[in-house]
Amino acid sequence: MVGTGGTEHDPTTTPTGTVIIGCGNLLRGDDGFGPILVRQLWEDGVGDHVELVDGGTAGMDVGFKMRGREKVVIVDAAATGSPPGTVFRVPAEELEDLPALEGLHSHQFRWDHALAFGRWLLKDEYPSDIEVFLVEAENIAMGAELSPAVRDAMPVVKELVLDSIGVRP
Amino acid sequence: MATVDLHVSPLGRVEGDLDVRVTIEDGVVTSAWTEAAMFRGFEIILQGKDPQAGLIVTPRICGICGGSHLYKSCYALDVAWKTHVPPNATLVRNIAQACETLQSIPRYFYALFAIDLTNKNYAKSPMYEEAVRRFAPYVGESYQHGVTTSNKPVEVYAIFGGQWPHSSFMVPGGVMCGPTLSDVTRSIAILEHWKDDWLEGRWLGCSVERWLENRTWEDVLAWVDENEAQHNSDCGFFIRYCQDVGLDAYGQGVGNFIATGTYFQPDLYTDPTIDGRNDALIGRGGIYADGQFHNFDQARVSEDVTHSFFEGTTSRHPFEGETKPVDPAEGRKQGKYSWAKSPRYDVPGSGFVPLEAGPLARRLAAAGPNPGAHQDDDPLFLDIIQKIGPSVMTRQLARMHEAPKYYQWVRDWLDEIDLHESFYTKPEELREGKGFGSTEAARGSLSDWIVIEDGKIANYQVVTPTAWNIGPRDGNEALGPIEQALVGSPIVDQEDPVELGHVARSFDSCLVCTVHAYDGKTGRELSKFVINGDM
Repeated sequence: MVGTGGTEHDPTTTPTGTVIIGCGNLLRGDDGFGPILVRQLWEDGVGDHVELVDGGTAGMDVGFKMRGREKVVIVDAAATGSPPGTVFRVPAEELEDLPALEGLHSHQFRWDHALAFGRWLLKDEYPSDIEVFLVEAENIAMGAELSPAVRDAMPVVKELVLDSIGVRP
Repeated sequence: MATVDLHVSPLGRVEGDLDVRVTIEDGVVTSAWTEAAMFRGFEIILQGKDPQAGLIVTPRICGICGGSHLYKSCYALDVAWKTHVPPNATLVRNIAQACETLQSIPRYFYALFAIDLTNKNYAKSPMYEEAVRRFAPYVGESYQHGVTTSNKPVEVYAIFGGQWPHSSFMVPGGVMCGPTLSDVTRSIAILEHWKDDWLEGRWLGCSVERWLENRTWEDVLAWVDENEAQHNSDCGFFIRYCQDVGLDAYGQGVGNFIATGTYFQPDLYTDPTIDGRNDALIGRGGIYADGQFHNFDQARVSEDVTHSFFEGTTSRHPFEGETKPVDPAEGRKQGKYSWAKSPRYDVPGSGFVPLEAGPLARRLAAAGPNPGAHQDDDPLFLDIIQKIGPSVMTRQLARMHEAPKYYQWVRDWLDEIDLHESFYTKPEELREGKGFGSTEAARGSLSDWIVIEDGKIANYQVVTPTAWNIGPRDGNEALGPIEQALVGSPIVDQEDPVELGHVARSFDSCLVCTVHAYDGKTGRELSKFVINGDM
């Protein structure tokens, strides 16, 4: 009954395939872009091999959701000072150069913190194929709707996401 | 006499902005101010909306306690709409809510709290190297184990709730799921694995049954020395280390406690009401103040805004609650200093006083008189605070004590589900009504009050455990629970006041999710990656 630790008898199955994770807070205007996109993909239908995850604001759990996947797509909002609605695709070398683990706050996670945590957490099961799309937010006030520029970015990002997982709209 | 002002921000590593200011004289904290630095206004978002909006909005208040928010917002509507909740639905709600808390217990302990046990201020302890070996962030053996297995319980939540976090699968009249036998057996397998692997294998070093035999502080001390496995378990080590570095000696707090209780006996809460709530609880509620037990009564709750950035200096019951923010610059001129309101409770004979919410409050309620046959009856923590008082260690131990207890409850509830019976009764959507729903999130009592008029939300007030604990002074100038707990803390190194972190984190406060409020730090690099810059 008293084990020695480790997870060698884990009864849960390791997921495979592709996962699309939309991050952000639905209550905060443009910060809800990721979860809203995931809902739209759910309604559109993306096929059985793709799992859709509303990552919300539980940053650490994004790491857990990535376990063992062949491909991971993360969609999140950003505030870089660029014009609202600007879409970013984060290049592969930036995904290698993740922030140091020390000093991470468990829930003040950005996408890069989630990846850094995931790489630590999952070790050999950390996916090799990861893509991150970001959309510049304009308004993250509590209770706000998506601002027009960010709403206009929705079909653009949707197409980029579907393209990256090999599903044509 | 040397007086120093220290400003430490942020203390909580969870969910946003809490600024704590303390005054130190001769190496001891003499006063404290907790300032919630962010306006939330969920109550304003909900006004005028469909009554069920709380089921969607409130689980997004927090990325850690979303299931707890859903649970209580659902019961508020069950009460307002006078729904009928089948026993199966109550069981599934209990299971889901408890699994969220089981997830939080190790994740909070290792990822938030125990990191401070490796602070260099403790390097003189003969146990320091061992503390670092276990608890150092990311590399500590126990840290890695505890954090990597912490998601197991919420995998059970997701089996029933479709997803965790932020599920909205609990609805008035029941739950939106139709579990199968394989869902139940898979849930049991996940929980058993987590229990063997972390709870017994690393945390306790014994069976959950053995730990739960402890009824007194002497029992706990004897348990530590009973054998090598218990002595060297994380729990055994934690108790010994706390005594060595003095975490059993400060962080007392206000010494008065509130638990609203949670988890219902399925056949006793098929028709949820405010009046029937206390007797239907499995995890009991109650007030423990000045050494006396009182039943919890939601009518005695009030929120004071004297020192909060809201209009006026009134104290109102949440059914009559207002959320009228003022400009903080103006508010400061009136002595206001926090975005949190100050929840207070009218304790019979004492008037409105601040109360500590959280696992220690629950453990004291569990020791109250006259338990029902189905109710938690556990004297351990009343014995502990009577013998050694509340402290950082006591509060922490109370939290960890719930892991074996809730594990057992969830296992029992899983066995009680009757897969042939209903999980939902369609309710009548009444156009008028008032409801109160409450639960115990991992970090304390969490409650909603809803007023429905003409089919819309006329008023909605959420009182979180964080508000109970981090709320500022009230109209009587009584300090909030964390403010009071900080007073008297010894500060060894003013450059690195780890003691303040211990006290504040022992309450496990979480403010609103500011998780994705991007600050622009990465902006310069990202601008290189624009792929549609002319949009």
